[in-house]
Amino acid sequence: MVRILNTFCVALVGLSILALYHVSEQTRVARLELAGVNHQIIREHGTISVLETEWERVAGPARIQELAANRLGLSGTPAVQMSSFETLPRRGDDGQPLNNSPIAQANAQAPANPVPAARRGL
Amino acid sequence: MIERATIYQRRMVIGAVISAAAFALVGARLIDVTLFKPNAVGSDQIGRPAMARADMVDRNGELLARDLPVVDLYARPHTLDDKVQAARELAGATGAEYSRLLEGFNNTKHPYVLVARRLTPDAQDRVMHLGLPGLEFEPSAKRFYPNGRATAQLLGVTDPDGKGVSGLEQGLDARLRETATGAPVQLSIDMRVQYILASEAEASRQMFHAKKAGGIVMDVRTGEVLAMVSLPDFDPNFRQFRGDDSDHNIMAADRYELGSVFKVLSFALAMEDHTARPDEVFSIGNGYKIGKYTIHEAEHMPATLTARDVLAHSSNIGTAQIAMRSGPVRQAAFLASLGLLGSLRCELPEFARPLYPAHWGTIETATIGFGHGIAVEPLAYVSAAASVVNGGRRIIPTFLKTDADRRGAQVIKPETSAEMRELLRYVVTNGTGRKADIAGYDVGGKTGSAEKPGPHGGYQSHVLVTSFFAAFPIDAPRYIVFVLLDEPHGTRETGGLALAGLTTAPLAGRIISRIAPLLGVPQKPVTVARENT
Repeated sequence: MVRILNTFCVALVGLSILALYHVSEQTRVARLELAGVNHQIIREHGTISVLETEWERVAGPARIQELAANRLGLSGTPAVQMSSFETLPRRGDDGQPLNNSPIAQANAQAPANPVPAARRGL
Repeated sequence: MIERATIYQRRMVIGAVISAAAFALVGARLIDVTLFKPNAVGSDQIGRPAMARADMVDRNGELLARDLPVVDLYARPHTLDDKVQAARELAGATGAEYSRLLEGFNNTKHPYVLVARRLTPDAQDRVMHLGLPGLEFEPSAKRFYPNGRATAQLLGVTDPDGKGVSGLEQGLDARLRETATGAPVQLSIDMRVQYILASEAEASRQMFHAKKAGGIVMDVRTGEVLAMVSLPDFDPNFRQFRGDDSDHNIMAADRYELGSVFKVLSFALAMEDHTARPDEVFSIGNGYKIGKYTIHEAEHMPATLTARDVLAHSSNIGTAQIAMRSGPVRQAAFLASLGLLGSLRCELPEFARPLYPAHWGTIETATIGFGHGIAVEPLAYVSAAASVVNGGRRIIPTFLKTDADRRGAQVIKPETSAEMRELLRYVVTNGTGRKADIAGYDVGGKTGSAEKPGPHGGYQSHVLVTSFFAAFPIDAPRYIVFVLLDEPHGTRETGGLALAGLTTAPLAGRIISRIAPLLGVPQKPVTVARENT
């Protein structure tokens, strides 16, 4: 009985050693992979960070205005031509704006020849 | 009879128990790690690369400043076979100075030589393609400002070690370092407003050939500075200045005798103390003698003016009379309550102490009444002027986003503030500020044209600092626009004149007409006739 128990214990120890070694090796490999993935994520974040910054630069108001003036021939819109959705009139007979407030800028008129931003030396 | 266990058997049982306990411990740990704490092992922080400083973003989340990952390049000279060739190739790839590299490579005292700092990824690629041994790349960060010059004076810059040395980079240095791996620091700046202010100020600076120009847009309730511009500026992404580039923020680090915009404060004091009424008539004449001094007008004035018109037409003589009714003690106390006799402290590290006379007598009271004899930093003036229109409460500027109403102590009564708003509107509709009157928005404001002090005392005629202080919408002001031109010159369109009504008033009007829709300020119906005037 004791011999069987001894044999069983030794076998258990052997199996445990193998299992632990297997787990340990898997852990080591996983840790390496994790480190690689983390490194890659950090690199990707770095790249995203650079791209975001580059986007801020190319989509900045200065560049947009320059492109709009040079390529599209757009100029500064007079403030009186701007409005918001809240002030648009309802479709229907009553003609009331969405928020039931008086229609703003109903009789406003933009300057006949607004000076393009580019010509003001911007 | 039960046979007693031998000593060997007892030892085996003890060994088995210890082994079983050890296995149980390992098993329990395995279960714990795999089932209950799956992320405990190797849960390294994953995210952006660790940077020295946090991002700065504007009030809408637009990026203003960020540390970008770059590398510093070091070389170990003893591993280089041909030091001359290596120095030449590295100088070509990185832009480093060839002679410095060669000297470093030949110096055996130092095992490492710094080749170049803050290499961009393409420069790093070029170095890698050289195939030289003994090179080491040290991760580093470079502060980048996507909006370049538009925010240069305000944000400031960092030194090569990533420490803020000017502007908000210095003022918020501790905060930017604390939150380097966390949330960005959100400023009160609105990049759209900042750009409009910068571009319009630059256009006016060029149009009037002014030496310097500047502007501030501030929320009068929260004290948030939405934009601050100082020209000439510089490109913060390059360390070299070109032409007349400057890193000096004139709106915070300079002090000016602002001239007639100070009349706003004199009138606020008079209205507060009831020492003058808006419809009270003052005699103006050709000059006003106080002792041995005579006060003159900048332009021809009628023989008499009501107080309202004294402000509207910016009469020095009328304002001097009104200021003298308050007296020097009361005037000094009032200006002190508005923070104009002390240093303004906010997140911006640059500030300028005010200059005012040690002896504050009658003549000083009169001249300070119309903005001469006292020099303050423009930001401090904006802070004081905001108190006049925001219901009469003190407000300290801030460059951090906040939604709270930060108005502090009551410095003038709300009724006085309302009365001043009417007077300021009158200046724009009937006075020197007419060119700031724009379609769709009721603007109130005041012009200021001050002669600059000469290098040898006295004032230089025709060498002006012109400014304009505007509040809108004037019936319930939310924003202040203050613009300044240093030494503008008249043009053919202005008849050769460079007064504020012709230079800074239209500038303020253009700025307001562009920023008001962006800021959601409600428009008022405009008639065709008025639009075409």
